[in-house]
Amino acid sequence: MSRSIPRPSLPALEQKATWLSLLLLAVSLHVFEAALPSLGPWFKPGLANIATLLALVLLGPSAAAMLAVWRVIVGSFLIGTLLTPTFIISLAGGVAAAIAMLAAWRLLPGITLIGVSLIGALAHMTAQFVTVESLFIHQQALYYLLPPLLLLSVVTGWINGGLAAYIVSQLEESD
Amino acid sequence: MVTLASENGSGQKLWCGLWRWLKGSWTDRTVLLISLAGILYAWQWIHAEAGAGPAMVEIYHDKVLLARYPFPEPGKSIHFDAEGELGISGILIDSEGVHFSSSPCRTQYCVLNGRHSKGGEVIACVPNRILIAIKGSHINGSHYDAIVE
Repeated sequence: MSRSIPRPSLPALEQKATWLSLLLLAVSLHVFEAALPSLGPWFKPGLANIATLLALVLLGPSAAAMLAVWRVIVGSFLIGTLLTPTFIISLAGGVAAAIAMLAAWRLLPGITLIGVSLIGALAHMTAQFVTVESLFIHQQALYYLLPPLLLLSVVTGWINGGLAAYIVSQLEESD
Repeated sequence: MVTLASENGSGQKLWCGLWRWLKGSWTDRTVLLISLAGILYAWQWIHAEAGAGPAMVEIYHDKVLLARYPFPEPGKSIHFDAEGELGISGILIDSEGVHFSSSPCRTQYCVLNGRHSKGGEVIACVPNRILIAIKGSHINGSHYDAIVE
């Protein structure tokens, strides 16, 4: 009368393992960035986004979107900001970046991980400002800060995209 | 000479490798150009919007304007206590600029943000919901830019 538990296929297990490894990488980078000395108010280099880019290429759009959300939840839990304003701002930025990157990946012909990362970085920064303005500060003067930070996002987005492309090429070579 | 040549060779290889991974496609570069154009236009627009007239410091809590001060003359300063969600943020305005002198927030990013003095600059304490915005561009009657007064 014993019921056998259906075993997942090897490719499905491999995919889950890859997703979990990328989640661990993303959470580690999230915590590492939180521990870094501030590079300026409102600004972080967005290294954790590299894991989302890798998930996009290796596992597909839905896995990448889930990774972006879970990275913020687990990372915020570990650094003690879960359900604080910082968490809400991070989550808004992460979700917006994931949606923008998935849309760019699907809709823009010829785009590489560099362009996708750039669009994600811009979406992340803009969404954070919209969230802060609409939920916490309620002053449009806040947007005065946005252009210089978007310029920095362009730089970090481009470099992170290059790093992600490099990692993907190394993974493909090793296969 | 051999060592130098090999160092040059490896340096060149490194730069080629970097260029290979960071050059992007034409689509990437088009996205970059459009983004840069949009950002610079927005920056210019904000500067024009916020930079006219004498410099004034505006202090807000949420939608409420708590105080509005011109920059004081050299040697004088203004201290303002702004009551926010967590407590009182101390704000100091002098002829050199404005900054948060104290804050009840945990991170203290607003205090570490330092002094600001240019039109269009903003300092915000998100946890305490206090925002300082500088409108206008002239401090004490003079207007400097990178080249001329």
